[in-house]
Amino acid sequence: MEVTLKIHRYNPETEQGGLETYTVQAEETATLLDVLDVVKDEVDGSLSYRKSCRMAVCGSCGMRMNGAAVLACKTPMKPLVDRGEVPVISPMGNLPVIKDLVVDMGPFWEKFRAIKPYLDEGSGDAPVKEWRIQQEQLDQIMKEALCIQCGCCVSECNSMEADPDFLGPAALAKAARFVYDVRDRGGKGRLERYNGYHGVWDCTRCYFCNERCPKGVDPRDAIAKVGARIYQEGMRSDKGARHAKVFVDSSHKTGYLLETNLVPETVGALAAIKEIPFAMKMVRAGKVPNPLKPHKAGKLDEVRRLNTLIGDQEKQALEAVHRGPAWPAEDAPRPAEDDE
Amino acid sequence: MVRHDVVVVGAGMAGMRAAIEAARYGADVGVVSKLHPTRSHSGAAEGGINAALGNAGEDSPDKHAFFTVKGSDYLGDQDAIQVMCEEGPGDIYELEHMGAVFSRTEDGRIAQRPFGAGGAPRTCYAADITGHVLLHVLYEQLVKSGVTVYEEWFALDLVVDGERCVGLTAWDLVRGGVQGVEARAVILATGGLGRIYRGTTNAYACTGDGMSMAWRAGVPLKDMEFMQFHPTTLKANGVLITEGCRGEGGYLRNGQGERFMFTYAPNAGELASRDVVSRAEQTEIDEGRGVDGCVLLDLTHLGAKRINERLHGSRELSLDYAGVDPIDEPIPVRPGAHYHMGGVDTDMWCRTAMPGLYAAGEAACVSVHGANRLGGNSLLETVVFGRRSGAAAAQEVRENGLGGVFPPAAVRVTERRIKSMLDLERGERPAALRQELADTMYDNVGIFRSAEKLELAKQRVGEMRERYARGLTIQDKGRTFNSDLIQAIELGSMLEMADCLVTGAIARTESRGAHSRLDFPERDDENWLRHTLTYYDNGDVGLDYKPVTITEHEPAVRSY
Amino acid sequence: MKSSYAYYPGCLASLSQKELDASTRAIAGKLGFELVDIPGFTCCGAGDIHEARPEYYLHLNARILGQAEQLGQDTLMTICNVCTLNLRQADKRLKADADLLARVNDNLREVGAATYSGGVEVRHLLWEIAEGDGFEKLKQIAEKPLVGVKIAPFYGCQILRPSKLLGFEDPDRPQSLERIIEACGAEPVDYPSKIKCCGFPIILAREEVALGELIQPLTEAKEAGADAMVTPCPLCHLSLDAWQGKAARESDMELGMPIFHLAQLVGAAAGLTYDELQFKRHLVKPYPATDKIYADA
Repeated sequence: MEVTLKIHRYNPETEQGGLETYTVQAEETATLLDVLDVVKDEVDGSLSYRKSCRMAVCGSCGMRMNGAAVLACKTPMKPLVDRGEVPVISPMGNLPVIKDLVVDMGPFWEKFRAIKPYLDEGSGDAPVKEWRIQQEQLDQIMKEALCIQCGCCVSECNSMEADPDFLGPAALAKAARFVYDVRDRGGKGRLERYNGYHGVWDCTRCYFCNERCPKGVDPRDAIAKVGARIYQEGMRSDKGARHAKVFVDSSHKTGYLLETNLVPETVGALAAIKEIPFAMKMVRAGKVPNPLKPHKAGKLDEVRRLNTLIGDQEKQALEAVHRGPAWPAEDAPRPAEDDE
Repeated sequence: MVRHDVVVVGAGMAGMRAAIEAARYGADVGVVSKLHPTRSHSGAAEGGINAALGNAGEDSPDKHAFFTVKGSDYLGDQDAIQVMCEEGPGDIYELEHMGAVFSRTEDGRIAQRPFGAGGAPRTCYAADITGHVLLHVLYEQLVKSGVTVYEEWFALDLVVDGERCVGLTAWDLVRGGVQGVEARAVILATGGLGRIYRGTTNAYACTGDGMSMAWRAGVPLKDMEFMQFHPTTLKANGVLITEGCRGEGGYLRNGQGERFMFTYAPNAGELASRDVVSRAEQTEIDEGRGVDGCVLLDLTHLGAKRINERLHGSRELSLDYAGVDPIDEPIPVRPGAHYHMGGVDTDMWCRTAMPGLYAAGEAACVSVHGANRLGGNSLLETVVFGRRSGAAAAQEVRENGLGGVFPPAAVRVTERRIKSMLDLERGERPAALRQELADTMYDNVGIFRSAEKLELAKQRVGEMRERYARGLTIQDKGRTFNSDLIQAIELGSMLEMADCLVTGAIARTESRGAHSRLDFPERDDENWLRHTLTYYDNGDVGLDYKPVTITEHEPAVRSY
Repeated sequence: MKSSYAYYPGCLASLSQKELDASTRAIAGKLGFELVDIPGFTCCGAGDIHEARPEYYLHLNARILGQAEQLGQDTLMTICNVCTLNLRQADKRLKADADLLARVNDNLREVGAATYSGGVEVRHLLWEIAEGDGFEKLKQIAEKPLVGVKIAPFYGCQILRPSKLLGFEDPDRPQSLERIIEACGAEPVDYPSKIKCCGFPIILAREEVALGELIQPLTEAKEAGADAMVTPCPLCHLSLDAWQGKAARESDMELGMPIFHLAQLVGAAAGLTYDELQFKRHLVKPYPATDKIYADA
C-alpha cells in the first residue's frame, strides 16, 4: 500500500528543521516503524529515530503521531491509509530534541534515578531461599512492573509541561512498584522522596498518561496509590495531603465538601490571608457558601459509621504492611552475608 | 579517552550481571552499550529461566544437567553444564531477593512451568514477560551499584597490546566521534546475530558486533554453525510467541487439525526439543499440511482466565501483530531464527584465548548449549556466566598489575576507518545488501541444509563481503546521532559472522541438534563429536576443532 | 434520553457553582426529563478521597449508586466531570467483580446503608443531549438560536479520559460539545488545548503549575476569536472563570473571556433569561457574549 507521512525534521548541526512529506510503498501489515524504515532506507538515510525490538517491549520507539505519543512499532498504518489520513510524526514532548525524532532521555533517567529505583532490602534478616509471598500480594505491583520506560506518558504529561521538574508519571509509577512491593523496607524514608514539591501532589490528574501508555501501566493510578500510602501513613506536611484531608473531614462532618475550609486548611492561615482579595471577589459574586449553614447530606450517620468502619479496615491493612512478609521455619533466615 | 579496571561491552542481562559482580569485587567498572540498557534484547525473552528449585516436584541439578546435555545433542561441555545447573538455584534466589516479580505457587514459592525437553517443570517465570522483569531488576541493581554507563556508545574495535586486550574504541552515537576506552579487562556481552536471517525473533540490534570484534582481533569463535530456530514465531514480522504457551498446555496443529508433533516425538509431543519441533513444523509445511506457510498454535482450550493470567503478553503480541485473539482462535506460527548457540570461545570462567578478554551470554560459547539450547537455559546462562565473568575479570585485575599499554594511535586508526566510510560517495546503499544477506541465509542456511545450498550461500556471502569492502554510501554525513553509519557498521559485522556460520556449516558433514543436513542425516559421533572453531585468517574464515568435555553422560540416541 | 434520572449535582453545583444547578433544573423542564433529588447523596470524594482513601471512596460511591437503585432509578445523571469518572469507575469495578461487590455490600449493610446490585448507569448531561433523541429534543427547544456567537468548547479531562472508563466518544477528537454548540445556533471555535487540563485538582496545592496549564486554553480560545467558552464541568468552570484573573496577571495578559456552563448555553438557546441562568454569579463578567445573546431581549 502507498503511505504518506509528514515528519518533523531537525538537524542540530545546521539548526534547520521543518515538516517534510514522504510517500513510500509498504506492506499492508506495516507499522509506523516499518514505514520509517522504508523512508530511511529508500529516501533519506539521515532520518533519525530509535528502534530495537519492534515488538513493544524495549521502549525505544516512542514518538508523537498527530500530537499524541505512541510506540511506532505498535501503530498499524493500514487504518490510517484506509481513512486517507496523512499523519504528522514528531518527537515526544516534554524532553529536549536531539535530532529529528530522537529526544534526550537524560532528564527522564535522572528522574528515574531520583526515586530510588531498586528494592530496599533493609538491614534485617532475609530468607535463605525466596521470600514466601502470595500471588495476590505481587498482583498489587504487576501493572507497574509492565512499564517499559518508553516515555509516552511523560511526553503528554500536562503537569510536567507547566513544571518540567515534576518527577512525572513514569518515575512515580516505578516508585509505586517499590512502595507496594511487600519485600521493600524503604518505609517512610522512601515515601518522603515522593512527597513534597515535584512529587505525587503535583499530578494534575489529566489522565493523559493512562490514555497514552502502550502497556496498560495506568501511571495516574500508580501515583494515586503512592498518595494513598503517604496519606494513610499520616504524612500530612504537603498542601496536597492537607487538601485531601479537607475532603475526608468534610465527608464526615456534613457529607459534602466544606468549600470554605478548603483554602485556609490547604494553604495555611498565613497564605490564606494573602488570598483575602481573591476571596472578597468570590464573596461578591455569591460564590462563597455560608459557613454557618453548611449543605448537609441526609442519613449522615450512615456515612460517619462508614468512614469509621473503613478507617479501621485501612488501619489493619497498614499494620499488615508494616509487619512485612513472613517465612516458614525451614527457610530459617540468616543475616545478609558479607562480601568475600 | 576513558579508563576503567573492567569494561563490559553490552548491557543486556549478561553484561549487567557481569558489571554488578565486578563492582561487588571492588573493581572500577565501566559499561559500554550501543543501546540504553533496558532496550537490550534480553527484555524480549518471555517464557522463563531454568533452575532446579524443586518447587513443582522433585528435581535436582543433576537432572537439569542431564536434560541439558541431551538437549545439546551431546555437544555441550558437561563440566560447564554441571556448574551452570548447580549454581542456577542460588542465582534465581538472588534475583528474587533483588525484587524480581516471579509468579508464585499456592504456598508462595517461585512457580515453575514445564518447558521444551526439560524433563520436569523447571522453568521459573513471571507471567510470560520473564525477560522484561529480569532485565529491569538487573538495571535497578546496576543503578544501585553506581557503575558508569556509556550509553549509545557503539564498540568498534578491540585494542591489543601484544597478546593482551587493553581496551577498545567506540563511536559516541549521540555526540559523534571515536572514543578510546582503556581497560585492564574487557567482557564482551553483546548478544547474538539473528538479524543475519530474514524471519528472526531478534531485535534490530542483534547484529553480532561483539563476536565480530573478537574475531577480527584473532580470537576464535566456536560452534558458529548452530543457529536455533524457534518453533513459534509470527509470520508478519518474526515476533516470538513463547514456548510457555506450549508449557501451559497449548497444542500445535497442522492444516488438518492434527496434533502432528506426536508423529515426530511420541513422548514429548509439543514439548520436544526446539530443533525437533522446528523440523517437524517445517516438514509439515513443506509437505503441504501447513496453513499459508504456517502451523497453528492452539490455546483456545486453555480458557480466557489462564491466558490472561499467565500468557497475557503472548495474547497482546498475537492481537497486535497477527490480528488474532488466542482466546478464540489458534495463532498461525512458523519457525524463525532465534538463538545462536555459537559465539566467542570461552572456558567455564568466561576467559577467551586472549588474555584480558572475557565473554558471556549469547555472544559467548562455553559451551553449555552444544548443538541445541533448551528453552529457559539462555536466561540462566546470562546470570550464571554474567556473574562468573564479572568475578573472574575483577579477580584478575586485582591480582595482576597494569594490563598493558593502550596505544594512542588506536583511536586514530579507528577514526580514519570511520571517516573513509562517511566520505565515500559512489558505493551502494546498505539496505539492499542487508536484505540480500537476510534472504540468502533464510533460503540456504535454514533448518534443513545441504552441501549445494551451503556452498551457494558461502559464495554469495563472499561476494557480498567484497561489495561491502568496496564501500557503501552513508547518506547521513553528520556527527549527531548518525544511525545510518551505525547500521552500515552493523552490516559489516553481520557479513563476517554469516561467513563464519556458513563455513562451519559446510564443513560439518553430519546432523546434530539444530544443524540438520539432508545429505548427512545422521549424527556422527566418531568424526564429529567436537567443537568447530572459526578464526580470522587474513580476512577469510579458517577452521579448527577442539574436543567436547564428557564427564557423566556418554552420547546416546536422542529421541523425544 | 430517559424520562427521569436520579439527579447527582455533586458538591460544587450545590454550593459555589449554584448557577449550574439552577440552569440544569431549568433546562430539564424544557428537555422534558424529571430530576429526582435523593437526599442521602453525599460528595463522591473527588480525586482527593479517590486517591487518599481508595476503599472509602469506593464505598461512598457504592452507597450513592445503591441509593439511586433502591429508589427505582436505573440512570444517574451527573453534571460534573469528576463525579462522572468517580461514579463510573466505582460502578465498573463493582459490576466486574462479584467478590468485591459482596464485600462492599457487607460493609454497607453493617452501617445500615443501601446496598448496590449493579443496576445503575451513570451518564453526564452532556452525553444525554449530544446524540439520539436527546439531541433531537435539544434542537427542538433551541428556539432562540445564538446566531453570530462564537463559542470555544473546553471539555475537561475527566469526561474524556481514561476512555476505557468513559468511552462516550473519541478522547482525542471529541465532537459532542461542538454538536451541541451548533444545535444551539452558535459557531464552535477550534483551538489546540481544548482537551487539555485546566489545572483545578492542584489549583490550591500547586497554584503556579495550575496557572501554567490554565493560561493555555484561555489564550488560545481568545486568539481564535471566541466570544465565550463552554465547559461541562463546574471544576473547570471555577478554574477558567474564578482563576482567570490570576492566570491573566501571571502571564501579563488581558483576557476577559466569559465562561459558560453547558446548561447555561443550552438554557440561553432555549430562551431562558440572564437572571434565570444566574450569569451574575460569574467572576468574569459574561457581558460581551451575553449582550450578543440577549441583544433583542
